[in-house]
Amino acid sequence: MAEMTYLQAISDGLREEMRRDEAVFCLGEDIGAFGGAFKVTDGFIEEFGADRVLDTPLAENMIIGASIGAAIEGMKPVAEMQFADFIACGFDQLVNVAGKLHYRQGVSVPMVVRLPSGGGFSGGPFHSQNPEAWFIQAPGLKVVAPATAEDAKGLLISAIRDPNPVCFLEHKGLYRHVKGEVPEGDHAVPLGEARVAREGGELSVIAYGSSVPLALQAAEELDEDIEVVDLRTLNPLDAESILASVEKTGKVLIAHEATRSCGVGAEVASLVSERAFEWLDAPIRRLTTPDVPIPFSPPLEQAVLPQLDDMKEACRELLAY
Amino acid sequence: MSSSPTETQSVEIVMPQMGVSVAEGTIVEWSKRPGDWVERDETVCLVTTDKIDVEIPSPAAGRLSKILVEPGDTVDVGTPLAELDASARPGEAHPEEHHEEPEAAQATEPARQGETPPAPSSGDGETDRSGFHSPVVRRMADEHGIDLSQVQGTGIGGRIRKRDLVALIESGGETERPDQAEPAQAERPLHIESPYRPETPAPAPAETEAPAATPAPAGEGNGAPPTEEILPGERRESMTPMRRRIAEHMLESRRTSAHCTTIVEVDLHQVVAARREQKEGMARRGVPLTYLAFVASATVAELNGHPILNASIDGDEIVYHDDVNLGIAVALESGLIVPVIRHAQRLSLEGLASEIARLAQRARSGELQPDDVVGGTFTITNPGQFGAVLATPIINQPQVAILDLEAIVKRPVVIDDESEAIAVRPMTNLCMSWDHRALDGAEAARFLAELKARLEGWER
Repeated sequence: MAEMTYLQAISDGLREEMRRDEAVFCLGEDIGAFGGAFKVTDGFIEEFGADRVLDTPLAENMIIGASIGAAIEGMKPVAEMQFADFIACGFDQLVNVAGKLHYRQGVSVPMVVRLPSGGGFSGGPFHSQNPEAWFIQAPGLKVVAPATAEDAKGLLISAIRDPNPVCFLEHKGLYRHVKGEVPEGDHAVPLGEARVAREGGELSVIAYGSSVPLALQAAEELDEDIEVVDLRTLNPLDAESILASVEKTGKVLIAHEATRSCGVGAEVASLVSERAFEWLDAPIRRLTTPDVPIPFSPPLEQAVLPQLDDMKEACRELLAY
Repeated sequence: MSSSPTETQSVEIVMPQMGVSVAEGTIVEWSKRPGDWVERDETVCLVTTDKIDVEIPSPAAGRLSKILVEPGDTVDVGTPLAELDASARPGEAHPEEHHEEPEAAQATEPARQGETPPAPSSGDGETDRSGFHSPVVRRMADEHGIDLSQVQGTGIGGRIRKRDLVALIESGGETERPDQAEPAQAERPLHIESPYRPETPAPAPAETEAPAATPAPAGEGNGAPPTEEILPGERRESMTPMRRRIAEHMLESRRTSAHCTTIVEVDLHQVVAARREQKEGMARRGVPLTYLAFVASATVAELNGHPILNASIDGDEIVYHDDVNLGIAVALESGLIVPVIRHAQRLSLEGLASEIARLAQRARSGELQPDDVVGGTFTITNPGQFGAVLATPIINQPQVAILDLEAIVKRPVVIDDESEAIAVRPMTNLCMSWDHRALDGAEAARFLAELKARLEGWER
């Protein structure tokens, strides 16, 4: 075990798989000589060479398209979007080609798209988005969003080994702020399994990504019997873990930084009301960013993104209900 | 539960001065409960004055700590309505919370018998929710044979929470109460045959003093007989505050004034021609020119020569008003409201038309201020767009008369007495209800005759 930041853990996982499997390579904007906008691939070109660490033009549809082609031919590409927001330019390739090839032609597309996402650093409307719901709406894509350093490494390794296209959302706010013990060497965390981050009996906070540390801090500061479930994989959802927690507590707060409407929270709420209605002791609540673009202005950004105080208030209200 | 009541910074929310003429207001409802977090300028309650509903904004951000005036109560301007803890932070527990320890509070009955029933936690402004049971509460009550009417809830509004039942079951509470459990159990067989959930006992005589007697809210589905008998095919809704006020005012007026209605028939062909000429010009300036504006203009001019109709009655005295403050009745979906055009005698036809349109718009969008609807000296009502031709309106107290403009209908009329020629003319009826205490029929008829003459001979 070594202590790593979330960012170092991603880097470690990617390096581990590239060392283990010749078929794995990465591509993206400025990931080679420059080492990536956030330095995830720092030192990669020196170790693996320019053939396996490809600097591409600023053309996301080309990055995704090339990845699909390589994947069909037996490679395992790991594409980096410099910011998750830019995936919109490669959207058609991703949802209409990568996501559907298996269903149309029985062809496996084992690729990973790394998506540095999220706000909180005054990045404005084009560099702060949490677009995970777009991909959940497109059948054929798996969607992963780790919250800890250990999961960042372990889920990335599983994503690379998965035969399906996987969208891997790395929250930029966690890159250097989240640290943890990470197993060295081969460490795979299975996709599709949630994790109970904190045990509790009075309220379930279902969260992922940046909302997990927020929920844990709120639970500690409130000093209440709150359970925090870290979804880790958003598609496929781990319904059993969600339902087990709800059946234990009877109260549900779903928290994510992505916008509200038709988001993961809506999906989880629907699942709970369909399958755990008789265990509910309170209305299902969501804590999300409202349906607006993320503003540049720091106070405005703070006003729209869920904050610790918002999390505590939502927990408090549900506990009192 | 780590809350320690440190020094709190209490801010009072007071009944605001909503207009020069408003001295008191009535709370309609609270949109926040004690314990709720409130942002600055967020609405905390709805207040109704004589005719207008006003949303009261919070003067500061904080946690609502206490509600001092209950819905339905009327208090003077300046009276504190609620207290806000401005030193609170969102997410913190507040001192009022958790004051009942679950274990102690659950198995209420033997200990608390004869005390206040659990329902009235509404004393501090909370809605009583003790009758609502969440899915999990119903399920657990079913599984463990718990009589929910015997459990005191610790949730918001006295709601029974899952934790209340868990505590009860863990303490073995439901079996340790033979004196209470017996009657509840005795009732159960009756309900096994009924279509209702077996968990709810019928109101047994033995329990009449128990909290079960508190009527459950509708929709609770427990099979208890409703408090009021509702026949099939009926539906009951309580009146909105506005509806109640209209009802009060109308009855009060009927009781107060000696209503009498006089009607004149008016040929509006000159007015129709004048409107046709001026309509476009005014429309360009954003003013819709209606027939109501013509009638209002003529009425204001005639009131000048008939001060008894621009008056009000105060005890044994008649109060004559120098200004004509003209009330215009506006129909809303929710009721009727009468905004007032002040100093109407100073306004031209276009000025009146513009004011009528402005006030009607404000009335429909709910933007009227309390001062907009008080101080009228004469009222015009105009429901004629639906085609009715006669009405006997009710006087708007304490005024002396109200004029009703009905539909304008084309009719053949004799236009020249000598030749007895007949022509088709746009005719309407002006129906005026007046107070026989203040004036007599001759005066009312004279006023209407002059009003008729002014409209029929409208000078363009």
